[in-house]
Formats: sequence, C-alpha cells, structure tokens
Amino acid sequence: MAEHVILFTGPMGAGKTTAIQTLSEIEMVSTEASNTERHIVDKATTTVALDYGEITIGTDEKVRLYGVPGQKRFDFMWTILKERARGMILLVNNDAPDAIAVALDYLDSFRDLVESGSAVVGVSRRDVSRYPSPDDYADAISAAYPGTMIPVFSVDPRDAAQMTTVLLTLVATLESRSSVEEVRS
Amino acid sequence: MTAIHRELRAIEIGDAALAEMRELAPSLVFAMIVTDDGFELAHAPQNTIDGGRFGSMTSSVQALSEAVTRELHIGSSGYVVIAAENGHVLQLRVPGHPLILAALFDNYETLGKALSISRRCVEKLAVDLPDTGPTIHP
Repeated sequence: MAEHVILFTGPMGAGKTTAIQTLSEIEMVSTEASNTERHIVDKATTTVALDYGEITIGTDEKVRLYGVPGQKRFDFMWTILKERARGMILLVNNDAPDAIAVALDYLDSFRDLVESGSAVVGVSRRDVSRYPSPDDYADAISAAYPGTMIPVFSVDPRDAAQMTTVLLTLVATLESRSSVEEVRS
Repeated sequence: MTAIHRELRAIEIGDAALAEMRELAPSLVFAMIVTDDGFELAHAPQNTIDGGRFGSMTSSVQALSEAVTRELHIGSSGYVVIAAENGHVLQLRVPGHPLILAALFDNYETLGKALSISRRCVEKLAVDLPDTGPTIHP
C-alpha cells in the first residue's frame, strides 16, 4: 500500500483543523487547547501540538494528514512533522492583514517542500475578503520561487469536494515527481 | 474577560506557589505555570531557561498526552513524566483551571518526592486561584 504524509500548515484561523476534519475517514485526533489570544483570533480553541486524520485514495493509497499549530511559538512541532512529510498544503485566510506576506512567510518556513514543488496553496475565507485574488498569490509565489510551480486554489475548508481537489492535486504532483525520479535513476 | 496569565493577582499566587515549591525541593531546577495554550503565568527561578519555548512545549506535550488517553479510553491524564539522564520533567494540570504546572528536577530527587511536591503545588493553586469559569478540554 502506497502512503503519503501531507502537512497542513498556515496561520491560526486559516482552517487547517477544519480541513482535516472534512477530509478524514477516521475520527480526527486533535490537540486543542483553550485559546487565550482571542483578541488576535476570535476562536475558542487552538491546536497546540497536531491534528491527525487519514484518507484512502483509490483502492490502496493511504494519505496521512497532519495539521501543525499555526502559531510560530510552536515551530518545534513544525520541525518534527516536516521531517516526515512528502507534501504540504498551506492554508491562508484571505482576511488576514497582508495575507500574501503571511503566505510567503509560511512557505519560507517549509522551504524544502516548496522548492521541491511539493506544496499547494489554499486561500480560505474569500467570502469575507475577496482580495487579494488567487492570481495575486500565484504571482507573488512565482516571483519568490522562480521556476517552481505552486498551484493556488480558492477553498472553503468545510467543503469536502474542494478540499479533495486540493489534496488530489498535491498527491498527483508527488506521484509524477516520483515517476520522473524513477526514470532518471 | 482578561486572560488568567495577565491577571496580577493570579500571577502573584503563581509566584508564591512556585517559591514554596522551591523551598520544599532544592533539586527543583525550573518550574513554570502556563495556560493550556502555552502562555506563562509564573516561573521560577528567573533567567535560567527560555520560558517561552518551554511553555509552548509544555502545552504541546500535555495536549498530546491527553489525546493518547482519549484515544485509548483510559480516563483523564494524571501527570506526565519525561525521565532523562540528567533530570526529569513532571507535568500536571491545575484542577479546575486552564493551567498546567511543568517542573524540571535534577537527579538528586526521587520521582516520588518530585511528584508529591508538584501535586501539593497544583492543589494549592486550585484553591488559591480565582475562578476562571469552565475550562475547555476537547
């Protein structure tokens, strides 16, 4: 059985936990704690270690979904989890101040995955803030990582069809890269 | 409502509880009281360890231990021990409050005494701290 480990990264409130909940076939393992920074992001709880879910693609391809805490003070968890990840879905809430800069900052923290083309970006909360557009993100990412293709989607993390499309895009990218590497070797 | 780690009275109570803990256990290298999401209420002694990072790690470890107990249906997590070559870390929840005590002891303390002193500290905090309303432990 083929297996992929995919990370969900991005700032607090972007929808990482919701996205994994939406996609997972098993009951999600969560590590939520009371959020004492409600003046920054108004939600009752926040992820402090990881979220974990699983989904099977096709007949025998298992994808392990790990969500990392959004806050930088938990970046030791980023280091632990990115070592085992094959790909990354970055979720960015479009209503964040300077959302494109936030996206670039998170991409930089996971630079190895980004530079190997193993990343996809999902822009959430576009119902709250229409701009910047996905094209604006794509342009900024292309400028920061010339020659690297990072697909950008507009997503609602609660929507299973949309999140599945994002995930399958990433898995297809990883598989095509593996095929190329096999041919080369 | 002000977050508990920003309330002066709560910080004073935390400082006093940690000072008493140090008197009881000379082997206590560092102790910290943090919110569920890793923000510091109090720590002792000063200027020894990067409290911000230790606080965040405490929050993650506590949440992971509670995720394991939930997954295995073995009831609530009593305490967490990290036993290392040159010391051990103990973590306990403060009953009734969204707070965790994390304490690093050197090897000159038995685990039993360290646990007993840590329990005494969180029980005292539970009584002395102002009510913070219901806590959320998913």
